[in-house]
Amino acid sequence: MAILEVNNVVKNFGGLKVLKGATLSVNKGTIVGFVGPNGSGKTTLLKIIFSLLDSDGGSIAFNGNDITGLSSHKIYRQGLSFAFQLPRLFLRMPVLDNLIIAARQQHGEGLLRSLFARRAWSNQEEMLADKVFQTLNFLELTHLAKNNTGELSGGQRKLVEIGRALMADPEMMLLDEPAAGVNPVLGKKIYQKLRILCEQGMTFLVVEHKLDMVLDFADWVYMIDHGKIMLAGPPRDVIESPDFYTTYVGEKNNASS
Amino acid sequence: MDPLVFILDALVFVGVFMLLALSLNLEFGYTGLGNFGKVAFFMVGAYIYAIAIQFGLPFYLSLVLCALVASILGALVSLPALRLREDYLAITTIAFGEIVRIIFKAEQSIAGGVWGISIPSIFRDLNLSIRMSVVANLLLVYFVVIVVFIVLQLLTNSPYGRVLRAIREDDEAVSVLGKNVIYYKVQVFMIGSAVAGLSGGLYAQYLRFIEPNMFLPLVTFFVWIMLILGGSGNNKGALVGALLVEFISRGSRILKDYVALPVDAHNVQYIMFGVLIILIIMYRPDGLVREKPLKADWIERKITHGNS
Ligand SMILES: Nc1ncnc2c1ncn2[C@@H]1O[C@H](COP(=O)(O)OP(=O)(O)OP(=O)(O)O)[C@@H](O)[C@H]1O
Ligand SMILES: [Mg+2]
Repeated sequence: MAILEVNNVVKNFGGLKVLKGATLSVNKGTIVGFVGPNGSGKTTLLKIIFSLLDSDGGSIAFNGNDITGLSSHKIYRQGLSFAFQLPRLFLRMPVLDNLIIAARQQHGEGLLRSLFARRAWSNQEEMLADKVFQTLNFLELTHLAKNNTGELSGGQRKLVEIGRALMADPEMMLLDEPAAGVNPVLGKKIYQKLRILCEQGMTFLVVEHKLDMVLDFADWVYMIDHGKIMLAGPPRDVIESPDFYTTYVGEKNNASS
Repeated sequence: MDPLVFILDALVFVGVFMLLALSLNLEFGYTGLGNFGKVAFFMVGAYIYAIAIQFGLPFYLSLVLCALVASILGALVSLPALRLREDYLAITTIAFGEIVRIIFKAEQSIAGGVWGISIPSIFRDLNLSIRMSVVANLLLVYFVVIVVFIVLQLLTNSPYGRVLRAIREDDEAVSVLGKNVIYYKVQVFMIGSAVAGLSGGLYAQYLRFIEPNMFLPLVTFFVWIMLILGGSGNNKGALVGALLVEFISRGSRILKDYVALPVDAHNVQYIMFGVLIILIIMYRPDGLVREKPLKADWIERKITHGNS
């Protein structure tokens, strides 16, 4: 059953036609890999799904509801979360706060409740803190919990960005190159985690350039080129298709290495 | 003038400005919303208070009305601008500041136009001496300052405050995390304007006479100076800033009685502010009182107990 349906999405940046009718669908409880050359429109499509960019045509449905052009915060509330390719963290805030803020339905985020329901939200904070530390342990960042996020290295920031998507506990995650700039062991660990979450019913649309990750972890792959979905299918079929080589890898060798 | 009265009088002004600085700190210091029309909300508060008192409303209701009207105006002014880019808010608020003053100046029927309006003091029936009347105002103003300070401290050190700080850094990222950013910004603008309105009401009550020229854009810039010097993103910084600015402003006026100055004494304060701002920005860009991360005892506990 499709949880996310992207239908014929078009996007132009001025004269540049980035998406020329992209159509794809993601089934519930799967990891879908989204590959394609640099500048082929992957990030653009993800941002359009999350209403961070307006599209110039097409529609998007999540769980059967039309979410085209809905505000980002409402899309989040429908059960989606998004991790940016280039981390968008709050650099003047500690790592802890960057993670805890991503959790859903916090009592203390309302004006009146923040003042008058202090007991309720501080209890909730304490529970969320457990979850934050689990996430931090998993990402091997516990020692940096209290540091200002601005002090983190590029790869560490990327991890916090992923941690934030995990904290949101969504039905479906859009991940833009989650393992880019992360050391290979941890990168693999992240994908293993996604697999576990997937088995529990979560759904993923993941942009990824590392083909071995796609082969090992994706259930289905879409390849985009020049703004159109060119190939779709199980990872091995897509990656072994001759078209894949000509547009993406450039030469016919070491695919599954 | 009785030196004690002089000091107490200065402290009343400090209190009034503390409220303004606290309100700008909520908007700009925590949320990153540049309000360059602060004086308009202050002025609206003062005039609403004057009109309400003349109308025969009890003073506490008049003060509530100041806050209410100012906050509604805050919503009306900010809502259209907040939906657009950041800089529109600055332009809109500057324009609003001037428009309000021009309206009160031009429309004699509202509140006396250029001639201003006088307000009977709420303490007039008590037959207080000058000194005691200043003390009474002082108590009233600082009661409000304390209440506002506590409320803002609670607010900014809660998950609500965390969202505000995040909005200040990257509002798009905040909306991706499921928060309705516009809603927060308008709320903040309403609270900030309400506090500025309250401050205006107390100002009018103390001075017992207001006229449009008391509400020049200079007032807004004084509040900004308080925030820059005191430290934005910290409510205590706002208080320190208000105290410091008023101290310099008054101090430079006293100075002329003791020292022969080569410049007009009135201008000394501007020179001092200029120098201070340069020094602060060079050596302590966060202001005298720095921003602190959210208080969270439970985090300390979790970390020391070898986290779960
Ligand atoms: N805001 C923008 N304004 C103008 N052009 C843009 C904008 N964002 C993206 N583009 C262009 O759209 C094209 C697609 O960009 P996009 O970021 O979607 O690529 P991508 O597939 O994610 O690439 P990569 O694998 O390198 O991340 C590029 O040519 C890029 O220059
Ligand atoms: Mg990209």
